[in-house]
Amino acid sequence: MSIYYYLSAFLFCLGLIGTILKKDLISMLLCIELMLGGVALLFILFSKSTGFIDSQLMVIFMMIISACEVAIGLSLIIALYRNKQTIYTDEIKIITE
Amino acid sequence: MGVDILLTILTVVFALMVVFSKKTVVSAFALLMTLLCLAMIYFQLGTVFLSAVQVLVNAGAIAILFVFVMMLIDLEQFPNNRERNKIKLVISIFTILIIMGVLALIINNNIDTLTVINLSDNSMKALFEKLYNTYYLPFEMATVLLLAAIVACVVITNHRKDDDSDNEGADKGVHP
Repeated sequence: MSIYYYLSAFLFCLGLIGTILKKDLISMLLCIELMLGGVALLFILFSKSTGFIDSQLMVIFMMIISACEVAIGLSLIIALYRNKQTIYTDEIKIITE
Repeated sequence: MGVDILLTILTVVFALMVVFSKKTVVSAFALLMTLLCLAMIYFQLGTVFLSAVQVLVNAGAIAILFVFVMMLIDLEQFPNNRERNKIKLVISIFTILIIMGVLALIINNNIDTLTVINLSDNSMKALFEKLYNTYYLPFEMATVLLLAAIVACVVITNHRKDDDSDNEGADKGVHP
């Protein structure tokens, strides 16, 4: 079971590196999902090792929040694609204009 | 012990496919497989309810939502293999190394003192007793958050430019 601790750290770091390196917004959202998966795994491992059942509840709340985040993020991407015809982060200059 | 290693290897392979795949659709399906492997890990750890919710919500709804959005957006004009910024690559590798070092320190220090506690068979009952007694206010707030997210999605995606709807929609009698 101790290998799962390293797996959760690996998933978080891989999601972070993907979020930094990727250029299109959909892939960045995918990598954020990966990070959330790693953190949820760590919460469950914490619940197993300490016996606190509260951290399993935190996983439920995390799932709710990640669902909201993905839904709003994807709808923002669609709105951006309608207005600017791009999903690349380096082609978007809304704030600086 | 063998199941641990097998599930970990599967999850690592699919997670690497998410980040380093050339096609975004392949990334989305690799994410789906990663979430399913995580659900299997949850099942193996004994949290059966969370495993079911992971399959239903994360793998079933969220990963498929990504595929739907990719169908709406023409991904052929957005290839995933553009040249990457060298400075960003170096900075991210250093960041990852530092974070991995800190996490390895924490894990190595505490992993021996952690003992596995077998949650009892009625852990789901305890879970929901806790959810509806101690955490009832965050639970209600989560429902309100979901409602707000639904409304926000509809409002954001229904936003149209005024000139389009004035010119074309009024003439043809059809919504553009």
